[in-house]
Amino acid sequence: MPKISVKIDDKDLEVEVGTTVLDVCRANDIDIPTMCHLKGLVDVGACRLCLVEVEGTSKLLPSCTTKVQANQVIHTQTDKLKKYRRMITELFFAERNHVCSVCIANGNCELQDLGYKVGMENVRFPYLFQNCEVDSSHSKFVMDHNRCIMCTRCVRVCSDVEGAHNWGIMNRGYQVRIIADFNVPWGDSTTCTYCGKCVDVCPTGALWNKDATQGSMQKYPQAVSDLVEKREMKS
Amino acid sequence: MNRHDLKTISEQMKTKHGQFKQKVCVCCGAGCLSSGSEAVLKKLQEEVKLKGKENEIEVVPSGCMGPCNKGPLVKVNPGQTIYQQVEGEKVSVIVDEHLIADRPIEKMVLFSDTREKPFINSQEDPFYKKQHKIVLADCGDVNPESLEDYVFYGGYQALDKVLFQMSSEDVIAEIKHSRLRGRGGAGFPTGIKWETVYKYVADQKYVICNGDEGDPGAFMDRSVLEGNPHRVLEGMAIAGYAVGASKGYVYIRGEYPLAIKRFELAIKQAKKIGLLGANILGSAFSFDVEIRIGAGAFVCGEETALIASIEGQRGTPRPRPPFPAESGLWGKPTLINNVETFSSIVPIIACSGEWYSEIGTTKSSGTKVFALAGKINISGLIEVPMGTSLREIIFDIGGGIPGDKAFKAAQTGGPSGGCIPAEHLDTKVDYESLVALGSIMGSGGLIVMDETSDMVDVARFFMEFCMDESCGKCVPCRVGTKMMFDLLTKICQRKALPMDLERLEELAVFVKETSLCGLGMSAPNPLLSTLRYFRNEYEDYVNKSQALAGTR
Repeated sequence: MPKISVKIDDKDLEVEVGTTVLDVCRANDIDIPTMCHLKGLVDVGACRLCLVEVEGTSKLLPSCTTKVQANQVIHTQTDKLKKYRRMITELFFAERNHVCSVCIANGNCELQDLGYKVGMENVRFPYLFQNCEVDSSHSKFVMDHNRCIMCTRCVRVCSDVEGAHNWGIMNRGYQVRIIADFNVPWGDSTTCTYCGKCVDVCPTGALWNKDATQGSMQKYPQAVSDLVEKREMKS
Repeated sequence: MNRHDLKTISEQMKTKHGQFKQKVCVCCGAGCLSSGSEAVLKKLQEEVKLKGKENEIEVVPSGCMGPCNKGPLVKVNPGQTIYQQVEGEKVSVIVDEHLIADRPIEKMVLFSDTREKPFINSQEDPFYKKQHKIVLADCGDVNPESLEDYVFYGGYQALDKVLFQMSSEDVIAEIKHSRLRGRGGAGFPTGIKWETVYKYVADQKYVICNGDEGDPGAFMDRSVLEGNPHRVLEGMAIAGYAVGASKGYVYIRGEYPLAIKRFELAIKQAKKIGLLGANILGSAFSFDVEIRIGAGAFVCGEETALIASIEGQRGTPRPRPPFPAESGLWGKPTLINNVETFSSIVPIIACSGEWYSEIGTTKSSGTKVFALAGKINISGLIEVPMGTSLREIIFDIGGGIPGDKAFKAAQTGGPSGGCIPAEHLDTKVDYESLVALGSIMGSGGLIVMDETSDMVDVARFFMEFCMDESCGKCVPCRVGTKMMFDLLTKICQRKALPMDLERLEELAVFVKETSLCGLGMSAPNPLLSTLRYFRNEYEDYVNKSQALAGTR
């Protein structure tokens, strides 16, 4: 692969053509927070946490879907970006009901980690307190929509890695919801294979094992990333 | 069908139309239809037959003539006399007096209720005089349900010219020369877009016509699709030839059943005689068009969401690049243009790019169709050269504000645009000038507001629209529009504090900069522009809230 040079946060880097800005940053210890991104899944650029400033471009670009180009000068830690990352985090918390103290994922939650990382001390926007369902119809797992941040990792892992297409999306705007099949209780789904990949990749306490208790739920998103990598190596 | 047959149709139509002394067009656009023009058409046809004049007088349906709130409209040619609000007995009067006795009826013509001296020839009226119709040139004369009629008005001659006298490069050069910019709103140079798609090498390319017009108060694309569907079809075929695509899709919103019906008919007619399909007019070029009907999502007007929708997926946008020109429908290079853009192609090819480029301003050439709505005397469809001032559009063409009320603001670009206040009425309308004012050209909706309009409420209305129409994919748009709507509601309820106004402004800039697609990026525009020009109204609300708080 031919190499190009780019400058990210004053670091001069030599990178392979076709690499995304996010991958370059991760490989060079430049910390960019993400929520919807997971190695192994198709990137959708939805959470907007990984936005970066590229000199010469007026728009902020999502680093997960933007490929580096020769001689680009990229900034990933400007005051503006830090402020926006904190605001996005605040909106995540305000949108549904993220009550860490009683959450099964307390202490093992990417959203909680994000809050600490971006320095969110409080949420300045009014909570929406949406009345969301808890679907415990499945024999092995539970879907708590109150904790869902619509990263759609579950949807993508189910369709692209497992190939089951159990998860989908319905409604628009802030009323958007993850659904099983054509909006049936998860337990009635005819497509779910009980593989549990969606639970492993879920960054919050939205998807969990039925036997989990407060703070006990551990997730293994890396397992899916590794699985995809192994498959790619095989083919 | 070959080139010769096209000529034959044209000549047959000339002979056919030559038999008639007069042609009466009854507007059968959506506006006039809803005020009963179909019955008028039927009655006119019956009356003419009753008088035994059916071989002298032709009565046909046509597309939109412009002043929609004066419908049903009936136009008599030659003479271009338009009668307004034709109903009941007026039909017989027109037949007896004008058509048979050749005495135009002054007290019934267009604007006879508002103008002291109405014009018998409608084109002399200021409403038409200041307009320059290119996209809408034949709209209102041509029968939208007849391919032969379209051919009579010179239809498919441009396609013929392109197929037999021009190479793909020639067509693209001509479009580039015209300096036509995308009429969907963003104003990207059409020629450059075509060239980009042309340059990608692929086994299959697509042409998409975006007819998912969803801005509140906008009905330009609707009127073009309903009034002259073959023009759009011909433009698409030319585009297909230029970029090397053999397949086209027209994406029309489901709320436009008449546009869908007429476009379906146009496709059927064109296919039947070989103007669509394999080896068009005997050339090596093959092109086919299919309709896709939108299911009610505003966001599907965004090109990547529209493409997802055609593919049968959930209509949500994806980050660009890659742009559709590189990887669009089913991953293939795709040209996507708006209805009005495709409608501008035929005249550019027929006349020349040079001719088109001389109309309008240096940066924005040509004409733009606007849908006038709101507090304005003549609401309807107009087409003006770029660079016409808002004052001319609203006062000279649109006839000003009803009830002698004062003009307050003009809203352009729908939920993605902004409000332009009275002090900028003399701004020459083009892409750059409107952006400088904090609005956008948009697809052409123009809503006029008078002194009674509450600008905070206007911002709230558009924010509610964006909140409802946000697809929910990215966080800033999904949650941000809801937050902003809640804050605006709080202000309108006189419950807001100065802090809320600060939050609102902070959110507006944030959502604009961080959203994934154009919907989110432009959703704060109505809010930001009203804050810019009518900040006092927001502050009034907030001050009142505080005064109220003291009494609670």
